[in-house]
Amino acid sequence: MAVTEAPPATRPPAAASRAGAAAVTAGLALLVAVLAVVDVTQGTAAVGPAQVFKALTGRADPSDASVVIASRLPRMTAGILVGVVLGIAGAVLQAVSRNVLASPDTLAVNAGSYLALGLVGATGVSLPLLASSGVAFAGGLLAAAVVLALSGLGTGTVRLVLAGTALALGLNSVTEGLLLLFPQQTEGLYQWNQGSIGQNGFDGVLQLLPVALAGLAGLLLVARRVDALALGDDAARGLGVPVHATRVTVVVLAALLSAAAVTLAGPIGFVGLCAPALVRPLARRFRGFVRARAALPAAGLTGAAVVLGSDVLLRALIPADTAVAVPTGIVTSLVGAVFLVVTALRLRDTAGADAPDRLRVPSRTAFLVTVAVLVAVVVGVTLAGVLLGDSKLLLGDVANWAQGRAGRTVSFVLDTRVPRVLAALCAGAALALAGTLVQAVTRNPLAEPGVLGVSGGAALGAVLLVTTVPAAGSWGIAGAAFGGAALASAVVFGLAARGGYRQHRLVLVGIGMAAGSTALISLLIVLTDPFNATKALTWLSGSTYGRTMADVLPVALVLALGLAVAVARRTELDLVSLDEDTPRLLGLGLPRARLGFLVVGVLLAATAVASAGTIGFVGLVAPHAARALVGRRHARVVPVAVLLGAALVCAADLLGRTVIAPAQLGAGLMTAIIGTPYFLRLLVRGRGAARS
Amino acid sequence: MRRLLLTAAATTAAALTLAACGTTEPAADSAKGKTSEAISLTDSTGAKVELDGPAKKVVATEWNEVESLITLGVDPVGVADVKGYKTWDTAVPLKNEPKDIGTRGEPSMDTIASLSPDLIVASSDLPDAAVKQLRRIAPVLEIKSADASDQIGQMFKNLDLIAKATGTTDRAKTAREDFEAKVAEGKKALADAKLDGASIAFADGYVTSNQVSVRPYTSGSLLGAVNEELGLKNAWKVKGDPVYGLGTTDVEGLTALPEDTRFAYIGNDGDKASTPFTGALAKNAVWTSLPFVKAGEVHRLPDGIWMFGGPGSMEAYIDSLVDALTK
Repeated sequence: MAVTEAPPATRPPAAASRAGAAAVTAGLALLVAVLAVVDVTQGTAAVGPAQVFKALTGRADPSDASVVIASRLPRMTAGILVGVVLGIAGAVLQAVSRNVLASPDTLAVNAGSYLALGLVGATGVSLPLLASSGVAFAGGLLAAAVVLALSGLGTGTVRLVLAGTALALGLNSVTEGLLLLFPQQTEGLYQWNQGSIGQNGFDGVLQLLPVALAGLAGLLLVARRVDALALGDDAARGLGVPVHATRVTVVVLAALLSAAAVTLAGPIGFVGLCAPALVRPLARRFRGFVRARAALPAAGLTGAAVVLGSDVLLRALIPADTAVAVPTGIVTSLVGAVFLVVTALRLRDTAGADAPDRLRVPSRTAFLVTVAVLVAVVVGVTLAGVLLGDSKLLLGDVANWAQGRAGRTVSFVLDTRVPRVLAALCAGAALALAGTLVQAVTRNPLAEPGVLGVSGGAALGAVLLVTTVPAAGSWGIAGAAFGGAALASAVVFGLAARGGYRQHRLVLVGIGMAAGSTALISLLIVLTDPFNATKALTWLSGSTYGRTMADVLPVALVLALGLAVAVARRTELDLVSLDEDTPRLLGLGLPRARLGFLVVGVLLAATAVASAGTIGFVGLVAPHAARALVGRRHARVVPVAVLLGAALVCAADLLGRTVIAPAQLGAGLMTAIIGTPYFLRLLVRGRGAARS
Repeated sequence: MRRLLLTAAATTAAALTLAACGTTEPAADSAKGKTSEAISLTDSTGAKVELDGPAKKVVATEWNEVESLITLGVDPVGVADVKGYKTWDTAVPLKNEPKDIGTRGEPSMDTIASLSPDLIVASSDLPDAAVKQLRRIAPVLEIKSADASDQIGQMFKNLDLIAKATGTTDRAKTAREDFEAKVAEGKKALADAKLDGASIAFADGYVTSNQVSVRPYTSGSLLGAVNEELGLKNAWKVKGDPVYGLGTTDVEGLTALPEDTRFAYIGNDGDKASTPFTGALAKNAVWTSLPFVKAGEVHRLPDGIWMFGGPGSMEAYIDSLVDALTK
């Protein structure tokens, strides 16, 4: 259960607090108004405060007036509208799920909307704005429904975020695949995905305003029931509130609001998560905010302040022409990321590790059979990877090549293909091992280099090097990736270590780090080399394109080291993953053991990123699947997870290279497309087991 | 799960044993002798390129290189994103049906190798690792796609390099003379119409959802440089990037253009999102109140002139621009 809620507020005199809540709301409205006024004076045209004032009083020359009316005011209105609806959507979602992590981002609503719009774009149909908003709504609602159905309404934070982020990752990968497959039809959709509040006139805002208002009105109508839900399901039922119907209504309305925001400005990240969290401390001081009818407007205004504030900040810091190229969504993501980390630290997180999954312990024979089968699969996938491609080869070719007597074409094809296959195998194995180690140390089923921002940090380090030193070599890139990963993990684990890796704190800090590094990478590319992003993006999408043996070497060496450590210290791994007390009783230096495993895990993740880009999901799926197959003992989990990881990434790489040849999709996209359904299936099965 | 794994393993094993024996290419045995007309040259990155003779089977990864090859009378055997080329560069159309080698950013090594080319003309925008691999298939002529300090010079440098490698230097000379003649002709036509020194703003743009972004071609861009050769003045004050000379702005940024600006753009009917100036902006108050919009000085040039192309595209651009401005 989510126990990260704010502690019950002390009760100040009721009358005074209601006035206080009103005063705070008025203060927020004033802040939004000030930001709005500043926003209107910023832009690429030479229309400053004086001209804006003249335009508003009807005394400006027509061209200045048109800038204010057709560009500045629509942008400001869109900013406020998007902020308000996202803030409120986040606030009600958190209220009905009693979960501080619920938001349009973590329920995959944004990802669902984006995919739906991408699908429409790929068919080449150009829809009017309201119709595309409808499509986005359907997509977002569907995604939210899947997440809630899989995680169960109001049951457990971890499962909700697990399902939500997993689905979001998978859906985004499918969308990115579409963008690559239909570049002409979906041109610009990628950039739009960063989120920007710039508008072409008032049309968009005016069309979506009724939708937003309908959603808001609906939410205010059910506000009382939402309050009742805060008391707990049983208490609410006792008060005669239809618990299930209320939840469904709220989720539908929140999806509607997010869809409106997405169609107007693209996904503006994290506002739905931040805004309610910013208001929550207020509820402690002002009792009035405990009621949804007071808290919702405050969350909405806070959301508007976050969006407008980001826009104002961006335009104030960066020259106008460059600022146009930097989407608002990048800034809100950065602001949101920092904010998430800070909030996570202030949260009172009483949720310890979940009880270990109840898993049957298979016999030794079963384990051996599993390993044998997996070895066969890895060998099969490797052979297929070497033989298949744009030009199909046969085993005789490989034999010739191995003896150095292949013809020119064959030897070239194999010279370039073999390193890619090896890079995929090693990166997959390394990520799986990293995931296993991190999950053991943190005893957290969500812990994974990707989710925790370690991969993101590695990618940021590598991109920094690639953009500043174009001629960087493989060891240089691996080193930069490790630097980034080390920094990211030092921040994430360092901050979360207080109180021993409490589940929610670790994941919150990690998600914040991951989002922040993604936003920083986008920012870096936009600012340094806007028209040649390929160099950095090629391997950011988890691609093995252009890899040579030299690039594979770092990850292969670290993988060998990691396996050696994992095998030698398998008993310690078992103990560390058990609970807090047993290792101490047995005289094991817990902090030192943890640190050691973490360092190895970070090294593995960083070198994997350097050799094959950011490949998500493997570190999450492989250890989970391994435990489901062979039980919890690390002597068995490690080999099975490593083999699974290698097979998964190698298969993904093979598919990515061949399905749409001669064009290709990154292995990272393919692992997500393969990984998501499997992972969701794991979740469903886990739920069944928990019930029985 | 276990049954799934078993089946997968069994199927792969069976498939491989059934299908994977034998070879697709006989083992190598002989070494080739050198011919007398060997060519040796230095490419844009300073790398030495040695050829046995003028290259006949050529693969090109970037469209401006494809265009140069066609201009020189060498039909490439492999081209990246053939469909895209046909959409965006009809000024210098393909005369053959080359093999599609994948995307411009990540051309497929396998496909290029299967064409066994004599020469690969590659963009210096490709990752270094990819170029290193290409060098093992065939000699690689690495071409710097653009350089904001001297775009026209760079364009002809590239054309000359490719001409040397393909033994078509005569054609390159003709192409340069044709281009210079076209510039002179256009300059005279503009001067006759009293447009000498007129200010021009060329841009392209994109619409997504309800947002319009405009990409100004500053004087560092290829089209900007051609405009200046024609005696026109570039109206953009936006700073361009150091490679392509392109900037970024939005609709209100257009208000910074001088009043007497003539605005020209190229869109594409095959790509609806690329024509904001007649579509999404038609009713926008900022757009309609711009002096050059009011004066009817917005010119859509024909589709299919590749803004980053070679002399062929630039000649088509000069013709259509002069035509539009003097009409």
